[in-house]
Amino acid sequence: MSEAPAVPNRIKRLIVESLHLEGMKPEMIEDEAPLFGEGLGLDSVDALELVVALEKEFGIKIKSQELGREVFSSVSSLSEFIEART
Amino acid sequence: MNHKAVSRRVAVSGVGAVSGLGWGIGPLWEGLRAGRTAIRPFERFDNTAHRTHLAAEAADGDSNGLASDPRWRRLLSLADRFAVFAAAEALAMAGLASLEDSEAGVFFGSSTGGMFESERFFNEFLRGRWRSAKLRDLASQQVNAPGDAVARWFGVSGPVRTISSACSSGALALGAALDAVRSGEVDVAVAGGSDSLCQLTYAGFNALRSVDEGPCRPFRAGREGMSFGEGSAVLVLEPLERVLARGAEPLAEFAGAGSACDAHHMTAPDPSGAGAAAAMEAALLDAGLPAGEVGFVNAHGTGTPLNDAAEWRALQRVFGERAGEIPLTATKALLGHLLGSSGSIEAVATVLCLRHEELHPVPTCSAGAAVDPELPVSLVLDRPLPLPGVKAAVSTSLAFGGSNAALVFSRWKDS
Repeated sequence: MSEAPAVPNRIKRLIVESLHLEGMKPEMIEDEAPLFGEGLGLDSVDALELVVALEKEFGIKIKSQELGREVFSSVSSLSEFIEART
Repeated sequence: MNHKAVSRRVAVSGVGAVSGLGWGIGPLWEGLRAGRTAIRPFERFDNTAHRTHLAAEAADGDSNGLASDPRWRRLLSLADRFAVFAAAEALAMAGLASLEDSEAGVFFGSSTGGMFESERFFNEFLRGRWRSAKLRDLASQQVNAPGDAVARWFGVSGPVRTISSACSSGALALGAALDAVRSGEVDVAVAGGSDSLCQLTYAGFNALRSVDEGPCRPFRAGREGMSFGEGSAVLVLEPLERVLARGAEPLAEFAGAGSACDAHHMTAPDPSGAGAAAAMEAALLDAGLPAGEVGFVNAHGTGTPLNDAAEWRALQRVFGERAGEIPLTATKALLGHLLGSSGSIEAVATVLCLRHEELHPVPTCSAGAAVDPELPVSLVLDRPLPLPGVKAAVSTSLAFGGSNAALVFSRWKDS
């Protein structure tokens, strides 16, 4: 393992920083908790914001058809998606 | 919708406001009474490159606990927050804890919605600073955003409408709300307007050379233009009988509204004042009040040479020989021009003046203190003018495009 933070932790930090979740710390986000609707309660504007941030952070390209519920359902699923492409 | 096809008398049961004088009706009335202007150097955005450098900025104030809601800063633009705060204050004053079981509607005016946040986005985005360019900043851009935010926050599921007609938006929204309560379309109207300072309007009015380098001087000799302001004002309107039935006291009766267009020019008013007079006459007719019963006028009074001259001609048309005698104030001398929200905050100022039976003054200013001899209005200076027993008042909003609106409020007295 490298010393860089694990992908899930980098995603959590991006979520908190890029979406301005005041009063929220990265470690407060559960790996399996739903990101949208229930759970974190993010919406489609947040999804767009998150796509931009993830693309820059990880140097990947996220196509619109990949924006489905499965990939973006939790930190865990996002992490698997990103690790398969980096 | 449940149209009952009736014409009901309409009461103002609550008011709320955010302005350069502070967050809330308390600081607003205290500042208005004192004739203290909120127009001063401001920090909302870097204005060094602009031609003028003043505005009545609504600096962060006490949000009455609203800021503890995680949606407050994250999901609402500044104009949305002004609106939600003013609506919360107005509903609390009306004693309406929840609107979810009421036939309620929102009627709002705005000129630029979340333009300030959109400008912030593009300022970052166009410089390639993607980390600080937030897409969320674009989400509230539409002019309907403040009214929609109020509807979402308070769970209003009846009609929710925004009117954007430049500087008469707030007054026209109140007129629409009056119709909706009268007709039985709604039992509660949350009505008003909201606008925040932004570079688009700041640069635009400066390019038109309609901004005074000092605080604006409505109706004064040597006046050179308007000053900018920001904020929101909300009036809760209900059928008079409904307010009385629950033992509450109306703040005023909303007696009538009227509008008329100059059909003259994109930005300049018709110098004859015919359109502005037609709006005032329509509002008085709607209220069933002769002009002789109007105790004071809250003028549009932007302080531009053209507006104030045209408004004086309109006052002459409506009030005849009384035009120079009727007590007159211009709230913009204290709050600046709230653009799409000016009609609503001036309506609130008018209601407060009726309620307290005194007319708020404008400050004497070092430059051009004297009233323009060409427009000899009875401008109330420095100290509030007691008006015991005052019956009714007119508030005017005269906008770009020649869109004129007038509102008539009557003092509530238990009789």
